[in-house]
Amino acid sequence: MMRKAICIPAALLLLVSCNSFLEEHPRDQKTEGEVVTDAKNLYLATLGNLYSLFGGAEDSQGIQGTYRGLYDFNTFTTDEALIPTRGGDWYDGGFWQRLYLHTWEAGDSYLNATWNYLYKVIVMANRSLQTVAEAGKSGMIGSEEEASLTAEIRAVRAYFYYYLLDMFGRVPIVDRLDANMNSLTQSSRSEVFNFVRNELLESLPSLSPQKSNVRGEYYGRMTRPVALFLLAKLSLNASVWLDDDWTDGKGAMAPFSLTVFGETFTDPMDAVITLCKELSSYQYVLEENYQTNFDVYNEGSRENILTIPMDKQTLRTQNQNIFRSRHYDHAAAVGGCGENGSSATLEAIRSYPEGDLRLNINYWTGAATDLSGAQVYLSTGEPLVYQPLSVALDLTGSPDEKIAGARMKKYVPDPNAAKDGKLMDNDIVIFRYADVLLMAAEAKVRKGMDGRAEINAVRTRAGIAPLENVTLDDILAERLREFAWEGLRRQDLIRFGAFTRPYSFRPALPDEENGFTTVFPIPSNALTLNPNLTQNYGYEDE
Amino acid sequence: MKALLTVLALAVFSVSLSAQQVDSLRLKDAHTVTEKQMNKGFVSSGLGALSGQSAGVTITSGANRAAMLSAVRVRGTTSLTGGNDPLVIIDGVTSDLSTLGTLYPGDIESFTILKDASETAQYGSRGASGVIQVVTKKGQGGQFRISYDGTAGFESVCKNLDMLSAAGFREWNRSMGYRFMDLGYDSDMPASILRTGSVQNHHIAFSGGTDDAHYRASIGLQDHNTVVRTNAYRNYSAKLDIGQKAFGGRVEVDLGIFGSLQSAAELHDMQHLFYSSAAFNPTFPTGANADGSYSQIPSASQINHPVSLLEKSYNTENAHFNTHVRTLLRLTDRLALTAFGSYSVNFVDLSHFFPTIVWSHGEAYRESVKTKDILGNVSLDYKWTRDRHDLSLTALAEAQRTTTDGFHVTSTDFSTNVFGQAALQSGATLPWEGAGSSWTDPRMVSFLGGATYGFAGKYSLSVNARADASSKFGSRHRWGFFPSASVSWNAIKEPFFRDIAWLDNLKFNAGYGYSGNQDALGPYNSMQLVMPDGIAYYEGAPLTVYNIVRNANPDLRWEVRTTANVGMEAAFARNRIVFTAEFYSSRTRDMLYLYDVSVPPFAFDKLMANLGKMSNRGLEFGLGLTPVETRDAQLNLNFNLSFQQSRLVSLSGWYNDTYIEAPSMSPISTLNGAGFHGGYNDVVYQIVGEPLGVFYLPHCTGLVPKGDGTYGYGIADLDGDGEINVSDGHDRYIAGQATPKAMLGSNISFRYRHFDISCQVNGAFGHKIYNGTSLTYMNMASLPFYNVLSEAPQRKISDQEVTDYWLEKGDYLNIDYVTVGWNLPLFASLVRNIRLSLSVNNLATLTAYSGLTPMINSFVVNGTLGLDDKISFPVYRTYTMAVSIQF
Repeated sequence: MMRKAICIPAALLLLVSCNSFLEEHPRDQKTEGEVVTDAKNLYLATLGNLYSLFGGAEDSQGIQGTYRGLYDFNTFTTDEALIPTRGGDWYDGGFWQRLYLHTWEAGDSYLNATWNYLYKVIVMANRSLQTVAEAGKSGMIGSEEEASLTAEIRAVRAYFYYYLLDMFGRVPIVDRLDANMNSLTQSSRSEVFNFVRNELLESLPSLSPQKSNVRGEYYGRMTRPVALFLLAKLSLNASVWLDDDWTDGKGAMAPFSLTVFGETFTDPMDAVITLCKELSSYQYVLEENYQTNFDVYNEGSRENILTIPMDKQTLRTQNQNIFRSRHYDHAAAVGGCGENGSSATLEAIRSYPEGDLRLNINYWTGAATDLSGAQVYLSTGEPLVYQPLSVALDLTGSPDEKIAGARMKKYVPDPNAAKDGKLMDNDIVIFRYADVLLMAAEAKVRKGMDGRAEINAVRTRAGIAPLENVTLDDILAERLREFAWEGLRRQDLIRFGAFTRPYSFRPALPDEENGFTTVFPIPSNALTLNPNLTQNYGYEDE
Repeated sequence: MKALLTVLALAVFSVSLSAQQVDSLRLKDAHTVTEKQMNKGFVSSGLGALSGQSAGVTITSGANRAAMLSAVRVRGTTSLTGGNDPLVIIDGVTSDLSTLGTLYPGDIESFTILKDASETAQYGSRGASGVIQVVTKKGQGGQFRISYDGTAGFESVCKNLDMLSAAGFREWNRSMGYRFMDLGYDSDMPASILRTGSVQNHHIAFSGGTDDAHYRASIGLQDHNTVVRTNAYRNYSAKLDIGQKAFGGRVEVDLGIFGSLQSAAELHDMQHLFYSSAAFNPTFPTGANADGSYSQIPSASQINHPVSLLEKSYNTENAHFNTHVRTLLRLTDRLALTAFGSYSVNFVDLSHFFPTIVWSHGEAYRESVKTKDILGNVSLDYKWTRDRHDLSLTALAEAQRTTTDGFHVTSTDFSTNVFGQAALQSGATLPWEGAGSSWTDPRMVSFLGGATYGFAGKYSLSVNARADASSKFGSRHRWGFFPSASVSWNAIKEPFFRDIAWLDNLKFNAGYGYSGNQDALGPYNSMQLVMPDGIAYYEGAPLTVYNIVRNANPDLRWEVRTTANVGMEAAFARNRIVFTAEFYSSRTRDMLYLYDVSVPPFAFDKLMANLGKMSNRGLEFGLGLTPVETRDAQLNLNFNLSFQQSRLVSLSGWYNDTYIEAPSMSPISTLNGAGFHGGYNDVVYQIVGEPLGVFYLPHCTGLVPKGDGTYGYGIADLDGDGEINVSDGHDRYIAGQATPKAMLGSNISFRYRHFDISCQVNGAFGHKIYNGTSLTYMNMASLPFYNVLSEAPQRKISDQEVTDYWLEKGDYLNIDYVTVGWNLPLFASLVRNIRLSLSVNNLATLTAYSGLTPMINSFVVNGTLGLDDKISFPVYRTYTMAVSIQF
């Protein structure tokens, strides 16, 4: 009896001490509650984190600046850019050729990674909304602050749905953190469209009216002009994105409606015109010099609307687009490395008329020079002169195998760029005011109105003659020149119905005219993991 | 089955083979294989001594043929996440493979391999993947002894890739009309990074004591300069063991201290180095230019001047210290209490410097990791014997805590290379992502109760019940209960067998048991945590943001493996023939793995969870023969052959009311190099329903003319849909497995008077190897910037599509070593014995594989499994002379 009396408490004590011994006490990782103790850390754990995900350093991460992600699927799939196979270089299992030829497959791991990236940010946004709501409840922040943080997070989330809408069309709408997978079914494309529209519209009043691209409190953030810009893009592409059955050849669209500034628009082009006009009131102007927007310190640009901040000292965000384009010897001459890959298409180079200043700002089209302007020589001793017109999809065996194709020049070289030139200070330009002008011009032309003022402002800056008469073809061509390699081309081509037409080295695919390639397949991995999802039209047998 | 391999170390082997010792060389029975099986060729680590010695134990050589520590498998891979490394116990102290690697072979007395669940039960989850018990030498009472062992030798390359010479390179580039760089030299680039390597080992041990106390102290040095010019390893070790008995033997205390200091000058990115040395333009000079720079070819972007890569320094230093005390109290004649405590601390320093001539802006790096491990246990053992009944009971309680604390710093933007990593501040930039620190502190608690009952030395039954708890699991799932049982029948003791003259031993055994695995699981997976992750602007200033770390899984629990085994052992003809056989079958359920999950609703595409299932089974045979046995001569032959097959049964299951079905196939290893980035370059996959690691490839119908005089790989339309699509699930098929179906280890030794010769032959069969090296170097399209094999111009292949064209059989037999020894006749009473021996390691390989060597990674599930992709060391042999003296 006595022994029992001792044994039982002793055993209990042992178990209790075991359990406390087995408790984990992390030091380098903490619960959110331990970190989010004030408004500043709340911001850093929510919006700060979301913004840090806008850029990237690894494949398929970030909106722009890395390989095999959002930007590549919107750029190397078009008549604007390609990465030719160059002998042993850049075949990469046929990946780049498949992008260019529109023969991508649902099983592509990078397509899946891009899907995962976009939704990762969306899930993080849902999480941020919950964290902010809890902070509001606990009194850590006031209701006004809660409203503005909530609005901004919702706008970020809408921005990422905007890309899903564009790329994948029918996607599940997840707007809460505790969503169960069994409830995740695809919404129709028009439902996704209306979700993005509503989220942006509801956020608008609480978003800051400040500019986003300049240093200061709102640097790199979703402010009201950015949201307005997105609404304009949404309206401009409404005829594509409101078509729930884009391969049926009927072109019928779900009804469009947008209520902003107290006015309800049912014609999307009216909405575009109004939104663009509103954006002009935010004091954006066309920079006198096109190149100013791509300067090393382009935070001063009065034209850029949304940029991904870059700072080689403090940020991880990389821009690998120039790194992968320039020739090895060219890169070495400017103190970096290169991968001698991406090149302009024949269509891109030929689109520039005589005297267009943008050609030599956007591309290296001939002799390569170093930072001092001196000719760069190949290891073989010959001068390095790019051959824009000898580009082809497969250059293997061509005498110009390594030098064919015009190369990306766009961003002014940062003489102190780090990490082989991938870490530079030039902020990555996502949206700018020239697009507002060209959107307005396009909307006007589509309505049969006069769009000359807007397009001619852009043309005049580029040093080419103004147009007397503006057609839709003029606008598409202008966009090719103006927004070269800015990640907009796929969306533009689709909106103009030109994505599926054949161009150099790219025959149209059988059945492509029905438009199935204008939307990517739902990644097969996503289909496997979520049996509720179904494949997009035209890819069902994948 | 407890296969006790009394694997005697070099020092002991040198003991003169006196009559009694000759007797001990013979296999007495299989339960205690007293053959001195320790590898007698040149062995550079404690681990190397074990290679090929036990059925079911695989020790893979790394690419540089030094024992690759991560590559020890007992009965193959049973977990996808890891935790496949066997537990190493050195003198009762929990240790690891890397520490075993630092132990001087001469300090090892025996290895014991525990494989079955009932045998490993005493080590619980840590021993789930097998246990290697190491017993080191202790002093013996009464005599003072000194022994010295020394080995010295050299290593030389005997086979390397045959690339186009400078003359051939010029000829073929010209004939193909390429503009190429010709600096006028005639260099052997593959040889430019090589040298004649050297090895030397020295070891001195002192031992002595009285009847009640003993001690042994030893120090060792191992020095190894490999055949690659900058690659070198050095290890100092010291060891002290003291034992004392007191109070008439009622109390025994053992104290041990072990320390080692290992430094290694490693090769950074071996694939890049060997790729560069093979493919770099042979018309370039092998040396540096006058200003210290090297002529590079920027257009050959995936390679560099091979010698310039040797300017990169890449160092590891490892300081290890361990001490343990065991106290045994004989409370009564039947009851003993043992208290055991050990403390280990390990400091790892990693550093590298990539000078500006090979790395734009240069890069310096330092990392320091400190691991402290404390383990304590108390056990009570009770033994009871009456008449023919034997009973023993054991109760054990154990707690363990391992704290790992590390940090690293990177700097870049160097204006000079003279400081290297010694002055990180000579780099102007310390990027945010270049610094970090981490801290983990997992803990375990275990309780064990065991009973063994034996009757008449004939029958025995053993039952163990074990409860393990790990801090890594969710609070509701920390404890796991793992019972096991085994029976054995010593049939030879039965009257009807005892009288059979030619039968010396016959024994059967069977076991069944559960074991838990959590080894490879990182801490905190069950908790939703945030950590600093990147920078964003807050009110215009850059500040660190916090991101959630992973998809947390609060339901994380033990991975459970069930193992059943039956075995037998027999000896015939006065123990001249010894035969063992064992069959085992195990199933892993609740398999811990990073499963693919749907994004959304998850934020990340991987979740650590317990869903899948795996099975593993095998047959192991051992055969020992002593066909010749006289006073002057003895011949011993030992063979162990094991067949092993794993199967990935399922990767799906329920998680939180959601059925998660991970993709049934996913790539494990992928080709690398120019033109192989992304795309369909995956070669080895894990596929549900298949063995772990299968080749899943397009089928090549043969070489097809491309119309320009060259050939490409024709691809079969396997799914018959009229078009070629080599993505997963389309024109691909399962073309074989990467892991061997059978493994052979054999040892032949012959002694005549004072001379002896022994030879170890190991082999692996039934697997395939993907020859990515030939796929790359046979591609004429890589000219003029990358060199090709001298055979390439004849083959005229201008393609690098991955197909089964380069999938080859991997079967091989390798003569690991041949050693000739001479035990000198004694000439002075002071010296008890002297032995001289000569060894050649890696003498020859018999294989049909066309690449450099079939001895690649065919065992460990990682990114190199089954793949020979421009990373293999040139084949080299080691020639050593050893002397061993005992006073």
